Amino acid sequence: MNRLNVLLIESDSTCSALESALNEAGYLCLKSHYDPDFLKLIKQITPDMLMFNLQSPSKKLLADLQAQQLLSAMPIIMFATDDNSDSIHQVIKAEVCTYIVNGLDVKRLNSIVSVAMARFKHNQALKQALEEACAKLEDRKLIDRAKAILIKTQNFTEDEAYHTLRKLAMDRHISLGEMAKNVLAMSELFK
Amino acid sequence: MKTFIKVTEIWVPDKQRTHLEFDSGLYGGLVKFKAASEQQQFAYNEGLPGKAWAEGRPLVLKEFAQSYFKRTAAAKKAGLTCGIAIPVFSGDFLLAVVVFLCADDEHHAGAIEVWSNQDSSKQSLKVIDGYYGSLHYFEQISRDISVAKDQGLAGLAWAQGLPVLIDDISKADAFIRAHDAKQAGITMGISIPVSDHLNSSYVMTFLSAKATPLAKRIQIWVPDSEGEQLICLEGYSKNPNELAQLFEATTVTKGVGALGRVWLTGMPVITGDDDADYNPELASLNTMLAIPVIEQGRLKAIVSFLF
Repeated sequence: MNRLNVLLIESDSTCSALESALNEAGYLCLKSHYDPDFLKLIKQITPDMLMFNLQSPSKKLLADLQAQQLLSAMPIIMFATDDNSDSIHQVIKAEVCTYIVNGLDVKRLNSIVSVAMARFKHNQALKQALEEACAKLEDRKLIDRAKAILIKTQNFTEDEAYHTLRKLAMDRHISLGEMAKNVLAMSELFK
Repeated sequence: MKTFIKVTEIWVPDKQRTHLEFDSGLYGGLVKFKAASEQQQFAYNEGLPGKAWAEGRPLVLKEFAQSYFKRTAAAKKAGLTCGIAIPVFSGDFLLAVVVFLCADDEHHAGAIEVWSNQDSSKQSLKVIDGYYGSLHYFEQISRDISVAKDQGLAGLAWAQGLPVLIDDISKADAFIRAHDAKQAGITMGISIPVSDHLNSSYVMTFLSAKATPLAKRIQIWVPDSEGEQLICLEGYSKNPNELAQLFEATTVTKGVGALGRVWLTGMPVITGDDDADYNPELASLNTMLAIPVIEQGRLKAIVSFLF
């Protein structure tokens, strides 16, 4: 049985089909409407997933979703009637996993949730890999700059500069990137 | 690492050369005191920097309340209790005033002294000004003695016209107060000849304990025998610092880099990022104060304090 905690935001408060379907499928569903306290509500109930059923997401809602994804990313499913390409572009920017236009079919709910969860996990893994690659690239740049300083100030060869940097880092039990920062800071003092 | 000196400032003459204005400073986290200082100006004989300019010698101010110190309220809020102003002259003309501000701290052991040959014979140095914190007995001993040229830390610096650094003062034969210093917890000392004014010589000594060193590292740079490059005569820190040693193995060309600029202009400099302290457990050195030692218009040495 699914015990995912879903926060459902619907523009039509009288419609209960989606809420019922979620409950029947075994999700823990809390239904609400979008208001200025939306982010506070998320912080309070910490849902596993956000689900929206509305005509078109407002700019304010999309901005809130972007802020939320930066703070603590979570899978988002959005059912809407707006098929404007600009809206779709904005929705993708807000990291909505699944955006379904005019396609709310409660029979497909489980598969839609499964796809959204899988896509979210995949995207998170990609984001993490990208962050690690960026950090490595940043470290590489720092190491190259530190090596250049050691080559210039100590008349080292590139190999000597690298090995000196590595020894200093090993002696201090820190990464090469961190040691490179120390070399750059020291060199700044004498600039 | 806690250092003995909490604030370091450089004050320089303004365009008219009638007032001192803020040049640069290291304030650590003392943001409000920094803001209060940046807008300040001092006339000749005004405030601690202006007074040091007028008197032509280093001054130690141990009590800010009801004194000529201008930033008393801000200093009190920042917990600063003692100030030292060191004027840097080339002949009669002031280049800059370096100000150190320290905080009273029951855990620190340290002293800052001004020695001068103000006796009639001019042949010996005595303490004329000093800050000893809670080291009352050591203060009494220090104020009672006088040293000849080549004698003691201050006498050596006076004789050589160069800064002298002793890293284990309690064992140094040259330091005549070695036993008393050991009793007082003092481990390290540096003496710097700072100015000659009205036929008197002035020498500063900074004495500190291992737990609260003056700075994370201190270096003494001097021109080589051809006067073409600066070389590092000595580098000292509580813990060995191989990275600093690497940079101390390099030579400095006049006008190139911070130390080269001090040599070229005779002006003290502060460099580095006061806010960056990304790896304090490594005693990373991210700020520096470099003070020139000038004798008869020529650079004799540069003392750099790395924080």
